[in-house]
Amino acid sequence: MTAQQAGERDATSAPGGDAAADPLLSVRNLQTHFFSREGVVKAVDGVSFDIKPGEILGIAGESGCGKSVTSQSILRILPRNGKIVGGEILFNNGDRTVDLATEEADGRVLRDIRGKEIAMIFQEPMTSFSPVHTIGDQIIETIRIHQDVSKEEARDQAVEMLRRVGMPNPVRNIEEYTFNLSGGMRQRAMVALSLSCRPKLLIADEPTTAVDVTIQAQMLELLRDIQADLGMAIIMITHDLGVIAELTDRVMIMYLGKEVEHGTVEDVFHRPQHPYTRGLLASIPKMEPGRVEIEPIEGVVPSPYAMPTGCKFHTRCPEYIAGVCEKRDPPLTAVGPGHEVSCYLYGGREELE
Amino acid sequence: MLIYILRRVIVMIPVTILISVIGFIIIQAPPGDFVSSYIAGLEAQGDIIEPELIDSLRARYGLGEPVYVQYWRWVSNFVEGDLGYSMIYREPVVDIIAQRLPSSFTISLLSLILVFVIGIPIGILSATKQYSLADYTFTVIGFLGVATPNFLLALVGLWLLFSWTGTVSIGLYSPEMQNAPFGLAKFLDLLSHIWLPALIVGTAGTAELIRTMRANLLDELPKQYVTVARARGVKPTKLLYKYPLRIAINPVISTVGWLLPVLVEGEVLVSLVLGLPTIAPVLLDSLMQQDMFLATSIIMILGILTLVGTLLSDILLAIVDPRIRGAV
Repeated sequence: MTAQQAGERDATSAPGGDAAADPLLSVRNLQTHFFSREGVVKAVDGVSFDIKPGEILGIAGESGCGKSVTSQSILRILPRNGKIVGGEILFNNGDRTVDLATEEADGRVLRDIRGKEIAMIFQEPMTSFSPVHTIGDQIIETIRIHQDVSKEEARDQAVEMLRRVGMPNPVRNIEEYTFNLSGGMRQRAMVALSLSCRPKLLIADEPTTAVDVTIQAQMLELLRDIQADLGMAIIMITHDLGVIAELTDRVMIMYLGKEVEHGTVEDVFHRPQHPYTRGLLASIPKMEPGRVEIEPIEGVVPSPYAMPTGCKFHTRCPEYIAGVCEKRDPPLTAVGPGHEVSCYLYGGREELE
Repeated sequence: MLIYILRRVIVMIPVTILISVIGFIIIQAPPGDFVSSYIAGLEAQGDIIEPELIDSLRARYGLGEPVYVQYWRWVSNFVEGDLGYSMIYREPVVDIIAQRLPSSFTISLLSLILVFVIGIPIGILSATKQYSLADYTFTVIGFLGVATPNFLLALVGLWLLFSWTGTVSIGLYSPEMQNAPFGLAKFLDLLSHIWLPALIVGTAGTAELIRTMRANLLDELPKQYVTVARARGVKPTKLLYKYPLRIAINPVISTVGWLLPVLVEGEVLVSLVLGLPTIAPVLLDSLMQQDMFLATSIIMILGILTLVGTLLSDILLAIVDPRIRGAV
């Protein structure tokens, strides 16, 4: 599927993706910093986005851009030295809206949301399960944490979920350990684990990074099927723009903890505005006849302890405007309906004067 | 599982034989034999030894014969339960061991329990509260525990107990209970004495276990399956006990086997200081005085204990870790 098609699907068939619906999750100016002896790393430094029920949002960027930290912040499963220092994470939990950013990290409210309302898929399926417990044990455990059902009933649900994700022999697979399963089966088991309570939002953090391309393709197909089936919203976090084009409705591009551009997949991929987005798209190898030169982005990612001032990308930007870009963070500027860019090329300069 | 156990048991047979050969050779290695040292001892006391006695002793134990014949004779007797005769104690070896092994065993077992009961929770605390005041405190205590010799601890323990309570805790029973029939009163008396040696013998083991537990748990805690469980809504306590602890404890289980003989060894000096009727001082005596049958028997028994302990560890490990079950 091309970006073009993905864009069309957004307009026509995304379930619940209409503009009128209230956002399921609304992240406002999120700031997550890591504190260590070497200093403070501003892993996420003012990120905002909304996701509506049933929508698929992609978050893309290089390693270290803060996309995974964003997802860990939502579920409050940050490493010990990571802290949310500002912003809101408003989750519409049916009858009331909770701010996940200010709730107690392992408190009742978050524990009830984790796994039930918001679930997460992680990068490596092998290590997502405890090696000394069966996959069934862990799926049944999740179901019984969140639902008041008997062991047998939870087991039936688990078997059903394993069947739904395409495990070949769910009744037997439920008794198996991860080391008995193939890579593809592990992926499916992991999806079954995260979907066991039918969450409203699924966060997939690089689920296709550690697997080979055939399993990656299966995974994307599975996610698409399951999404059509259960109708949950998905946040797809990846550095792979191909995956974004395949799966998502909208995309947000991040660079060094900042949002640089967001919009529909069609807008961002076909009409990229930010020099960083353009650079990213130009650096993808293409499968066209003849050799097309890949154009990598110049320079290197700055050290997290010595962040550039102003626009974080100005040290590598081919369209750097001296005396402007390093002054202050460029504000988000609308360049089209639902398409915003954080770059002085498109506005915001008047505020500097 | 049954095949796994059976295979382990079969492997134990050649190892047992090897232990017996090595034990026997080492005991035989010093020049002379126990008869000559026995006679030397008696003559030093001014006794006159009849040559017939010497000859009959030598003949009885086949001391004039080649080593392999002696070995074979000893092994055949050993298998039949005749462990020979101790020259220093002038008693059959079986009787000495039967008297001493139970107290050794009780102290070791109690030490082992104390090691676990104290070491595991502190190890967990140290890992979950890494770099906290508690962690640093237990680290210092732990290193002191490893570095302080047992006999010194025993002396300090004796002194402290005396200065606080005025009683001298020597032996396993109070003098008036020494010959009493075993009952509740005697058992309580035993408990009031045994905790000190058990604690002292277990100190080094506890300190080591704290470090091992801490390191293992620190390895497991940041693993992805823990984060995934957290992201599923698992409670923090269960997050610790059900998953990482279960895996962190595996190496501990696999060391239970060889902890037992280590504890018996650790008893030697403590037993001497505290006057305990354990097997350890007997082993020391028998080695110094070339009491061949006694020494070899004790070494054999310790060797077999190690093997049985290892077998138990292996079985336990296979029960708790499916990866090991899967590999056999």
